[in-house]
Amino acid sequence: MTVSRVDHDALTELFNIGLHKAAAALSELTGQRILVDLPRLWVCPIAETHARLRDLMEGELATVHQVFMGSMTGDAVLVLEYENASRLAALLTHGDVASDGRLDQSAREVLAEVGNVILSSCLSAFGDMLHVAVSFSVPRIHVESLEGLLRSLKVEKDEMHYTLLAATRFRLTEGEVGGYLLIAVGIASLELISKALAEHEP
Amino acid sequence: MSRDELLLSADGESLTVLHELAQVLELGVLTVDRSLTITSCNRWLAAAMPQARSSIVGQPLLTVFPELRGSAAEQAFHGALAGATTVWAHRFHRYLLPLPPRPTVSEGRFDRMQQSAHVMPLGRGGAIEGVVVIIQDVTERVTREEQLREALAQAEVASQAKSDFLAAMSHELRTPLGAIIGYMDLLESDMVGPVAPLQKQYLGRVKSAARHLIHIIEEILTFSRVEAGKEPIALEAVDGVALVQSVVELFEPQAATKRVGLHATLPSAPVMLFTDPTKLRQILINVIGNAMKFTDAGSVRVAMSCDAERVSFGITDTGPGISHDDVGRIFDPFTQLDQSLTRPKGGTGLGLPVSRKLAHLLGGDLLVHSVVGVGTTFTLWLPIVGDPTGALPTAPTGAQAIA
Repeated sequence: MTVSRVDHDALTELFNIGLHKAAAALSELTGQRILVDLPRLWVCPIAETHARLRDLMEGELATVHQVFMGSMTGDAVLVLEYENASRLAALLTHGDVASDGRLDQSAREVLAEVGNVILSSCLSAFGDMLHVAVSFSVPRIHVESLEGLLRSLKVEKDEMHYTLLAATRFRLTEGEVGGYLLIAVGIASLELISKALAEHEP
Repeated sequence: MSRDELLLSADGESLTVLHELAQVLELGVLTVDRSLTITSCNRWLAAAMPQARSSIVGQPLLTVFPELRGSAAEQAFHGALAGATTVWAHRFHRYLLPLPPRPTVSEGRFDRMQQSAHVMPLGRGGAIEGVVVIIQDVTERVTREEQLREALAQAEVASQAKSDFLAAMSHELRTPLGAIIGYMDLLESDMVGPVAPLQKQYLGRVKSAARHLIHIIEEILTFSRVEAGKEPIALEAVDGVALVQSVVELFEPQAATKRVGLHATLPSAPVMLFTDPTKLRQILINVIGNAMKFTDAGSVRVAMSCDAERVSFGITDTGPGISHDDVGRIFDPFTQLDQSLTRPKGGTGLGLPVSRKLAHLLGGDLLVHSVVGVGTTFTLWLPIVGDPTGALPTAPTGAQAIA
C-alpha cells in the first residue's frame, strides 16, 4: 500500500460530505449558522505525521479522541490548539463558556459534544461509502502535547500506520477558528478506504 | 480502548458493577431495551426521581417521561439503538431526563435538575440490545457559574459607576482649581494692589501646589475616561523623531538640577507616524518623567527605532529597579510599589496604567523589563499604519544622539 494510491480528490469529497453533515448538526445544536470548511488534506505515514503537525500547530493542544471499530478500525481525533479550543467553545456558546480563555468543565463538555458530532459525521460518511457499520467509543477530551497526542494513537495493541489529516475551519457569525481532523488507521483500513474510493470513481 | 468498551456489555454482572460504580461517583444510570422499556435504574437516579424504582423498571421510557416524546433526547435513544454515542453537554441541552432538582443544591434557581449525559448503545456479542444512559447532575456547578457571571456583571456595573463618579468628581475639583490659579495670577501681577516679595513667594508656592493638583486630577480624569472607553483619539501625521526630541527637551532642566544624565538616540531622518500626537506625548512624558523621578544618580536614556511595521521607544534608567514580583503589578491602577521607596516621590500611581491604556488605544503596547539594583527599561511600541492624508512614513537612515 502506498500513500500515492489514495485518491486525494475523492477523499477530500468524502471529508466534505462528513463536514457538511457536521455543520448542519452543529447549526441545529447551537441555533446559529455554522460552516465547517476543509481547506487542505494530507495522507501521510505515521512517522511523518509528527513533522507535519509540528509545522501546523504549536503549544498545548485540546483534543477529542473517538476510537472506531468495525471493518475499519482507528482513532479519530479533533485537534485544536488550546487557545483555539477555548475560542471555539466561547463562539459556539456566545461567550457562556471559556470566555476567559480557560477550558473548564463546561467548556470541555461543549467540546466533547462538538467533537462527537464532527467525528461521528465524518466516520459515518466513511462507513456509508464502505457499506459497513462503524462503532464509536465515547469521546474523550484531553489537553496534551503534540508528542502525547501521537503516543496515544493506538487501538488496543494495534499500531496505526497512516494518518488522514484534514485542516478544518469553523466559520461562525462572530468569528472563525482553525482546527484539524486526524484519522489514524492501520494498513488494512487504509487499503479498504483506498479501494472503496477507487470503486466510487465515476 | 477495546472493542468491549465501544459497546457496553449488557450482561447482568457488568451492569451491576456499572450501577455500583456510578453510585459511588454520584452518577445516574438508566438502561432501556430496544423497545425503550426501562430495564434498570441505579439507586442514585431512583432517589432523584419522584416515582419509586419498582414502579419505573418495566415501564416504557416515554410513559415515565412523556416530555421526551418527539424530543432530541428521544432521538438520542434511537441513535444509540443504531450504534451512535451521543454526548449531551449541559450548555446545549440543559438536561436529558426531566427530573426535579435535588433540594440542597439548586437554591430554587432551576425547576429541573441540570444534567450532562452520555447516551450509548448497550449490547452483547456485537448486537445492540438497548441503550445505557449515564447522567451527571451539574446543577450545583451551573448555579455557581451563573452566580459568578452575575457577580461579574455587577462588578462591571460598579466599575462603570466608579469611573463615572471619578470623572464627575475630577471635573468638579478642576473647575475651582482653575479659579484659584486665575486669582493667584491676578494677585501676583499687582493689578489689584501691591504684593510684598514674601507674599509673592508664598503665592508662587500656592500656585505650584494648585498646578500639581490639577495634573493629578487630569491623570485621574484620563484614566477614568480611558477605562470607560470614552477617551477620543485624534489621528494625524506626525514626525515621531521631532516629538520625542521635544519631550526630552522638557526634562533637560530637571536632569541638570538632579545632575542625572539625559541622553536620546534618535533616527537621523524624520519618521512619519499616523497617530494621536497628544497621547503619544502624554505617554512619553509619563514614562520619561517616571524614569527621572526614580533616578537619583546615573542616567536616563531614550532610544527610538523602527522597522516597516512598528516604531519602538525605549526609556532606560539607572534607578533602583523593580523586583520580579512587583513588575507584574506595575500597570495596576492605584498601585505604587515599595511604599518606603515611592511615597516620598508622590503621584497617584496612575501614570503607568494610563500610559499603557493609551498605548493600547493607539494599537501598541507598553512593556517593562527591570533588574533590581541595575535599572528599568520601558518599551513603548506603536504600529506604523498607513496615513489616509498621504504623508508617507520615512524609513530611518541612521541614528543621531542628542544629550
